[in-house]
Amino acid sequence: MAEPLYRANVLVCGGTGCTASGSQAVREAMARELERRGLTGEVRLVETGCRGFCAMGPVMIIYPEGIFYCQVTAADVPTIVEETLVKGRVVDRLTYKEPVTHKSIPFYKDIGFYGKQFRIALRNCGLINPENIEEYIARDGYAALAKVLTEMTPEQVIDTVKRAGLRGRGGAGFPVGLKWELCRKSPGNEKYILCNADEGDPGAFMDRSILEGDPHSVVEGMIIGSYAIGAREGYIYCRAEYPLAIQRLKIAIQQAEEYGLLGDNILGSSHSFRLHIKEGAGAFVCGEETALMASVEGRRGEPRPRPPYPAVAGLWNKPSNINNVKSYANIPPIILNGAEWFASRGTERSKGTAVFALTGKVNNTGLVEVPMGITLGEIIFDVGGGIPNGKKFKAVQTGGPLGGCLPASHLNTPVDYESLTEAGATMGSGGMIVADEDTCMVELAKFFLTFAQAESCGKCVPCRVGGKRMLEILTRICEGKGTMEDLDTIRELADGMNTASLCALGQLTPGPVRATLRYFLDEYEAHIRDKYCPAGVCKALVRARCINSCPAGVDVPSYVAAIAAGKYAEGLAIHRERNPFPLACGRVCPAFCEERCRRGDIDEAVAIRQLKRFMADHEAEVPWTPTVPAQKWPERVAVVGGGPAGLTAALRLAERGYEVTVFEAAPEPGGWMTYGIPEYRLPKAILRKEIEAIKRAGVEIRTNTALGRDFTLDDLMGKMGYKAVVLAIGTQVSRRLRIPGEDLSGVIHATDFLRSVAMGQAPDVAGKRVVVVGGGNTAIDAARTALRRGAAAVHIVYRRTRAEMPAQPSEVAEAEEEGVQLHLLANPVRIIGPGYVTGVECQAQELGPFDESGRRRPVPLEGSEFLIPAEVVIPAVGQGVDLSCLNGDAPETNRDSTFRVNEHLATSREGVFAAGDAVLGPATVIQAVAQGNQVALAVDAYLRGKPVVNARQMTPYRTAELTYKLEDYAEARRASMPMQEPAARAHNFNEVELGFAEEAAREEARRCLRCDLEYEEYMASQRGEEN
Amino acid sequence: MVHITINGQELTVEPGMTVLQAAKQAGIDIPTLCHHPAISDIGACRMCLVEVAKQRALQPACTFPVTEGMEVQTESPKVVAARKFVLQLLFSERNHYCMYCQMSGDCELQALAYRYGLDHWIYDRPFEPMPVDGSRRYFLLDHNRCVLCRRCIRACEEIVANHTLGTRQRGSKTMISADLDVPFGKSTCVSCGTCLQVCPTGAVIDRKSAYRGRVSRGDVQSSKSVCVGCAVGCGVVVVHRAGHIVRIESDWDAEPSRGLLCVTGRFEQLEEVRPRLTKPLVRRNGTLVETDWDAAMEAAVVGFRKARTSGAIATGRATNETFRALARTFALTGTWGKPLPVLGYGKPGTLADLEGADAIVVAGADPAETHRVVAYRIRRALDHGARLFLVDGGGGEYLQPFATLSVPPAEAAKVVEVVADASSPVVIYGAGLQESALKALKALDGKATFIGLPAAANARGAEAEGVKSWNGTSAVDALYVLAGDDPAEPQELPQAGFLVVQSAYRSALTDRADVVLPSPAWAERSGHVTNLEGRTCAFEAAFPAPEGVPAEWQPLATLAERLGKA
Repeated sequence: MAEPLYRANVLVCGGTGCTASGSQAVREAMARELERRGLTGEVRLVETGCRGFCAMGPVMIIYPEGIFYCQVTAADVPTIVEETLVKGRVVDRLTYKEPVTHKSIPFYKDIGFYGKQFRIALRNCGLINPENIEEYIARDGYAALAKVLTEMTPEQVIDTVKRAGLRGRGGAGFPVGLKWELCRKSPGNEKYILCNADEGDPGAFMDRSILEGDPHSVVEGMIIGSYAIGAREGYIYCRAEYPLAIQRLKIAIQQAEEYGLLGDNILGSSHSFRLHIKEGAGAFVCGEETALMASVEGRRGEPRPRPPYPAVAGLWNKPSNINNVKSYANIPPIILNGAEWFASRGTERSKGTAVFALTGKVNNTGLVEVPMGITLGEIIFDVGGGIPNGKKFKAVQTGGPLGGCLPASHLNTPVDYESLTEAGATMGSGGMIVADEDTCMVELAKFFLTFAQAESCGKCVPCRVGGKRMLEILTRICEGKGTMEDLDTIRELADGMNTASLCALGQLTPGPVRATLRYFLDEYEAHIRDKYCPAGVCKALVRARCINSCPAGVDVPSYVAAIAAGKYAEGLAIHRERNPFPLACGRVCPAFCEERCRRGDIDEAVAIRQLKRFMADHEAEVPWTPTVPAQKWPERVAVVGGGPAGLTAALRLAERGYEVTVFEAAPEPGGWMTYGIPEYRLPKAILRKEIEAIKRAGVEIRTNTALGRDFTLDDLMGKMGYKAVVLAIGTQVSRRLRIPGEDLSGVIHATDFLRSVAMGQAPDVAGKRVVVVGGGNTAIDAARTALRRGAAAVHIVYRRTRAEMPAQPSEVAEAEEEGVQLHLLANPVRIIGPGYVTGVECQAQELGPFDESGRRRPVPLEGSEFLIPAEVVIPAVGQGVDLSCLNGDAPETNRDSTFRVNEHLATSREGVFAAGDAVLGPATVIQAVAQGNQVALAVDAYLRGKPVVNARQMTPYRTAELTYKLEDYAEARRASMPMQEPAARAHNFNEVELGFAEEAAREEARRCLRCDLEYEEYMASQRGEEN
Repeated sequence: MVHITINGQELTVEPGMTVLQAAKQAGIDIPTLCHHPAISDIGACRMCLVEVAKQRALQPACTFPVTEGMEVQTESPKVVAARKFVLQLLFSERNHYCMYCQMSGDCELQALAYRYGLDHWIYDRPFEPMPVDGSRRYFLLDHNRCVLCRRCIRACEEIVANHTLGTRQRGSKTMISADLDVPFGKSTCVSCGTCLQVCPTGAVIDRKSAYRGRVSRGDVQSSKSVCVGCAVGCGVVVVHRAGHIVRIESDWDAEPSRGLLCVTGRFEQLEEVRPRLTKPLVRRNGTLVETDWDAAMEAAVVGFRKARTSGAIATGRATNETFRALARTFALTGTWGKPLPVLGYGKPGTLADLEGADAIVVAGADPAETHRVVAYRIRRALDHGARLFLVDGGGGEYLQPFATLSVPPAEAAKVVEVVADASSPVVIYGAGLQESALKALKALDGKATFIGLPAAANARGAEAEGVKSWNGTSAVDALYVLAGDDPAEPQELPQAGFLVVQSAYRSALTDRADVVLPSPAWAERSGHVTNLEGRTCAFEAAFPAPEGVPAEWQPLATLAERLGKA
């Protein structure tokens, strides 16, 4: 029956993802609305299979325009009908928004998610109604079968598939054509063809989507296969947890039978073929071919040793061929378009496309089909849209729970069988799980191992017992009870399982563990040696995520609780146990704690930094005097450098009974806090109070005394009589741009510029145009300072995008508010001027392949040069340690000029330690404080001849009482910080942030969820279990 | 033939052989654990892993077939490392504290540990105590010692075809389970004990023989014998110590059982509690008193001389030699037990015929009660595709559920009709075969083979020596009853004025005898028996009878001599 001519088609996704997010209701609402408005004759409503973009479901595409709406609800339907179907307008609020620019993209073809995709196996998914064979036929369905049965011999079919280079999409990558040939040549009249649809990987739904969205493609592929190998009977082994897939397969098989495409004498040929569905009970191991066949036969689904291979003795001991869903779905297009068409895509040894279920910490989760050879980075960042919430990419797990995970340094790895295996992952069936910086790699390995070992069939010893033993060890490590020897044991277990297990499940179970050991050994070591989970995931090691993420391990919940209770002095005491700079850090800390605050998962993080500032500001009247023992050790310690690392180290050593002298080259102590961070962020007067407190601990600070000029390292250890020295000399040297014109007058490096301003000898920038080069905090500080010194215009040139800027996002935003102009993806190539600067020639950049850190490397765009007129250029592209003060007798250093130290911060020279930026490179105050703590413990241990205590365990944590009802603050939003208006603040050096009022601060403190209480409870329950 | 190299040694072997078989043939020992020659191989334990050139992973020798030009290393460093790894894992999995195990010394796992020098444990042993299933009478299943080699499962499935044992759960939670996880004692288990015999460790333990001596230490001796529990004549190995049977095992090499044995043959005969007779007794003044052999024999001779009519009735467990002596001594002889009907047609078959049978007819017999090993072999045939037909109440509860067709005797023709298209049918019949069925089954003459299940164990031997089933004279003057060690006593005896009983044990029967002659027990006898197939098997005494107890045939020979019948 002819259908009426429609003017529009509305495609609503009926895949599992969209169904879960409510596409059924949308479809029904649309049907009602079309009915109500009498549009049923003009607009056709189609339920399709999965379109892949599950993260944005339910999705709707309206043809002929190809308008793409996402996250549609039933309530949106009348608007869509009115605006789009009647008036022909796009409903902007329903369009897809590009995650970085937030630009709306109304048309399907323009969406980045689909841009790099090429669909063969998924060609019909989301385009046709999977329950209607005619729609499949309309898209050339069963044309390949007709061609095969009428024009080709089985040998020709096999030859075509062989030449196409199609490899098994189940994961092992065995050439499909060759497999068919082996089965065809195997003696016997009774043969079987099987389809492996036992997709059981966590987070994988490739096969499911094809079966649900285009079941006929699999049926057709299998019929062609049956003709090629000479089978008259076939089975699709589909897990029973896929009811929709099974239902649609049943419909497809029934329709194919009705159309004479299945059964006796298909299309009038001599070939007969019957297809059955076998529902699997959900054992992962049944994806292994011999186990699958055992299960079809009605036996316990367990693998058996091969040989004999299925091609010789498979189902019921007859020659059998088994392929994955995706392999069969690829067959019809190969037959129709030819082997060469297929082979023209992909790489030398991996032809065609790969289908992935992209999940985890990635913006565009969903189903993608990409040409083989595309890089992992392109899939994750171009198709996947990158990592949500601006987090850092950490790893990607490919190949499902038996695969492996690859770190950022492998983002340029092409996706093909050999490259992935070589890198330590596998192609697998197509699961791709992205992990961000909040993922603990030990825990991730444990997660996959938990799955794989639970799915072991238990037949062979290595898999059954080895997986269990390995999981026990991993669990122990995650609980902080591991030993370094455990790592060797894990490796032995992994090797043993790999060589001795019966089937691929056992052989590959150690995959994720091996890969994480290979690429993330440091995380294992942190768990074992430091009892520290860097990602803040492992329960037994993470008291609270804020404490865990603080480099110095400050007990945040306790002091926040103290603020809530109005006990500010108590809170400060807790704070100072690990960080003596609450006033400074309350102003300048990047607050790693807030990034990881669990409250942020609900609404917004607790304003921890600003609470700290309030608490510290409140202590005006009775200044803090640290407690030090009256009895002193005979050994004296010298600290070179009066920055946060040096001062912290000095304080901690004084608290432990040492006489300490701090040598500071500048007129005032404080280091970068004094001479780098501008007044509007950290007023000098306030900083001085904190340094005075350290002096009250008995620390002697000798200013204007420079290493190299006034004394040497040998002097310290020799005639000056110090038994240990801490080098905390910071990074004083600004890195050069290495471009022409860098020595012109008007070029002043950021460190020099900021220091001069702090010392009151500012270079004149008033009325001048300033270009700052770089994207870090120093660049922003320089730019905002220049603005405050009266610059006419301030530009920042940065070679990557905003997302990659190392500076704190809030600083960047404030700078922009004040009028600083950002030039992103731009790099200076030349500073122009006749002896003095007149401008900077820049070149536009584009992002190329990924570098070791997982960021895209900027690549210059030839011919894109442009000029920024300027009188002052301030390079801020990095700093190094000024080693000249060591007179060529420095302890060993790294390539970037920082000191080479062991895990206890000892340098290569006996008795000489290093801490702060001189070890880390340019970092933050809190990181310097953490190093100060650690180096003091190391020096103490060295002088006393005892083992070094890890700074994370330097003081015990106490649990503060809960003084408010958590549920009363369930709805409370983060208090906003009173700030100077941008217009005013851009021209003065007063503090930008004005500080909380007391009541606001106490209310804000009560938003804390007190994760530490949960931890105490958890630990108590663990102790209970052990007893 | 294919040419392969194992450890540098060039071999020419049959195609289709496994590496393990080829190695064994050449005298190269590859260690195994889940392998057992009587059952199929599954490559599960990974002890027999070998290095095969051009293979990425190590391969199990027990399943890997030989191919032309193959090069194998059986003790390369990689192989040895893998085996040690597997052993370490096995020892970490459950409680394998050998010194507390009854199998210590005779355990295959322990032997492997010695072979590969496992002198310490690498992994923590966090194993939790596992249950011990003690719900069976003769043996128990201790999961703590189990290595999940699944030999017991395969024995239950392939040898006995009983399918009681299986696995439950998966991965590290895998456990041996009876039926759908019921207590072993409540399961379909038939107590054949084959699982016990194939278990390589102390997981399936014989209650009786536990801790009674190790084979490896020479505490116990073994000798071969033939079971006389029924007419199948299973070959057994008697494990004994100091004149006591410790346990009975099936003889893997003996026809027709080849590893099969039933509860009677393995366990029930060890349950003997009757008081043993070692001295002859004669009745004096109404009471039986001990005497010497000469006096006892003389009393018997006097008794028989006086009698006008006399006869002898014997246990069907007696040897051919005994039956010969019996027939020579008495004119009127018989064994007890209902005789088999005489068919008058039909080619007699052997139990091996069941192997290739495509149809099996059981008529008037309940092999699961009387000849259990026959029942197991029927079930095995069913597993290989044979159809089962029951006639005449045949089959019993054990076989009923598997029958294609089950008919009363009058409708035996229906079965004959269906079986007509079978190519190698076997008919098994017993004493319960009714006349109508007997006639109907004649239609299968020439096509089927017929196997009768006689009630008496050595019925065929007795018959050959001229001793038939006792067909009942109502009374005799003097009667000789050879009870031997038969656990069953004759139900009806002819009345006799003078009664001589030869018996191993004191019983109600001996209590009313005029003369009692001691007889050896089963394991103390030598001689021959002829099984239901007509196969005559020789056996030797496992250990001598108690002092003063002569051979079974000896009193009869003496009697014959003194009565002048020799």
